[in-house]
Amino acid sequence: MTGFVLRRVAGTVPVLIMTSVLVFLLMRMLPGDPITLILGESQADLGAAQIAAMRHQYGLDQPIYLQYLAWAGRTLAGDFGRSALSHQPVWDVLAPRILPTLQIGLIAWLLAVLCAIPLGAVSARAPGSWQDWLGTVVTMTGAAMPYFLIGGVLIFLLALRWGWLPASGYVPLTEAPWQSLRSTVLPAITLSLSLAAVLARQARSSFADVLQRAHVRTARAKGLTERQVMLRHVMRNGMLPIVTILGVQLGTLFSGAVVIETVFAIPGIGRLLVDAILGRDYPVVQAVVLLISVAVVFANLAVDVVYGLLDPRTRQG
Amino acid sequence: MIALAGGRPRAGRALRMPGDALARAGLALVVVSVGMAVLAPLLAPFGPDAIDYRAMLQGPSPAHLLGTDDLGRDVFTRLLYGGRLSLGVGVASVVLAVVAGVPIGLLSGYLGGIADEILMRVIDSVMAMPPLVLALTITAVLGPGLANAMLAIAIVAVPAFTRLVRGQVLSVKHEDYVMAAQSVGARPSRLVLRHILPNAINPVIVQAALGVGFAMITESSVSFIGLGAQPPTATWGSMVQVGFQYLETAPWLALAPAVMIFLAVLGFTMLGEGLRGLLDPAVRARG
Repeated sequence: MTGFVLRRVAGTVPVLIMTSVLVFLLMRMLPGDPITLILGESQADLGAAQIAAMRHQYGLDQPIYLQYLAWAGRTLAGDFGRSALSHQPVWDVLAPRILPTLQIGLIAWLLAVLCAIPLGAVSARAPGSWQDWLGTVVTMTGAAMPYFLIGGVLIFLLALRWGWLPASGYVPLTEAPWQSLRSTVLPAITLSLSLAAVLARQARSSFADVLQRAHVRTARAKGLTERQVMLRHVMRNGMLPIVTILGVQLGTLFSGAVVIETVFAIPGIGRLLVDAILGRDYPVVQAVVLLISVAVVFANLAVDVVYGLLDPRTRQG
Repeated sequence: MIALAGGRPRAGRALRMPGDALARAGLALVVVSVGMAVLAPLLAPFGPDAIDYRAMLQGPSPAHLLGTDDLGRDVFTRLLYGGRLSLGVGVASVVLAVVAGVPIGLLSGYLGGIADEILMRVIDSVMAMPPLVLALTITAVLGPGLANAMLAIAIVAVPAFTRLVRGQVLSVKHEDYVMAAQSVGARPSRLVLRHILPNAINPVIVQAALGVGFAMITESSVSFIGLGAQPPTATWGSMVQVGFQYLETAPWLALAPAVMIFLAVLGFTMLGEGLRGLLDPAVRARG
């Protein structure tokens, strides 16, 4: 077991290294001098000698692989550089943005699971029934719905027309928990739809698969009600692939955060990325993209390990 | 594409499957949205950039079916023309992704070894970045604009095709018929193109249909954020961006193009999923 976990952890190291190389190179492919990356627009005021001195100071006159190693070393030590806009350390800019994104993501995740699992179960029970068709329609609709459409409709009806919930902005959880919850409900619903679509689809095929197995027939034969069969024997066994999807979908949550935090004016990671890109604050862009990628890699690792714990068969490979 | 399915020996049975209804409904949506885009000059009652300061932010009326925008331009007309770019960028970026991704997948799967290993790690790390985050970052690096957004989306879409094709190659590489062809002296290029590639075509078609939907959603998001189409060029996504400023007073400005994106993406998604049901024997058997 320990061997399995160690193997999986070791397996993510090349991906992490490669990801960091890609993020590093992406930022180096920016047009213009990389000193822009550090100084932002203010470099125009500097003379050529000063720029050359700065190039030396930041090691930009060294070969690119040495530059990468130096950058990777600093990053591992927790030094992400300074924001080109506010000149604060990048981490100080980034840290307060994590909670809003996390809060919306968690609520969305919960909503999606609560809707999708029952829907998938009902669809799987009766393939071809109207419930199954409804499930298919919901799945397709959720997958095709742009965040700004569902978000726009929710804002227009629930916030602007009926005034039930705030249209935009974020109240920190520590300041006023109830207001904070109210300010994140609409973004969370918006984010949950596409997640629910993917989950419902996976739940349907996963449950349908388990329903075919012999132990379900046995459970029915010994006189359990359909409800007991579904809850104890089908859903419990069919949850594993669904858990996997939840981990893989962390990336979707971040993609969604970019649009949704723009729609609802939420000061989270997604909006920070957009602002940094629009403001050419490349140290911040670099840090955010790296942080998100690493989070996705670790989420996949966690899912793999949990999967191995729950299902001994997968430990072999 | 329906003809393709119809040509199969078991078409008679397959036609009653839900996949078929899904594919048909999807195809209908795709045909309608592409038709509206292609016929825009014939259908549009006004010019796409015809500004009318006497008719700004008007609601839907017989003269302006979907009202007018902040510069008095006819929203219906701009939807038709915006669709040309939105659909065009969606299809073009998928074509680019197929042209790049399929050969890489073929080579990687066929050659195997260290080249395959390195390539797959690169693909793994590209896939670790959420698609929209990566597309935005690449667009930022290339510079804002619709052409760069298209290129960025194509790059983001490549790994899906590469992985798909590589998987297909690996699954048939050691089949008897490939070995047989090899043993009678078929050159590698012939092996790959005549014996291995045909197996990958159906899944690639399915992925391409789904990919157009993905590309359109991504383009609309990039344009919504302001890095895609730059004014006066308008795609559905950038129309939503402008419309959002008037959500309270003129909701049709944001919602009409958003609904168009939804319908077109839904069409491509249904077409893709439907075709998957029709073309993939494993899915078909499960019903």
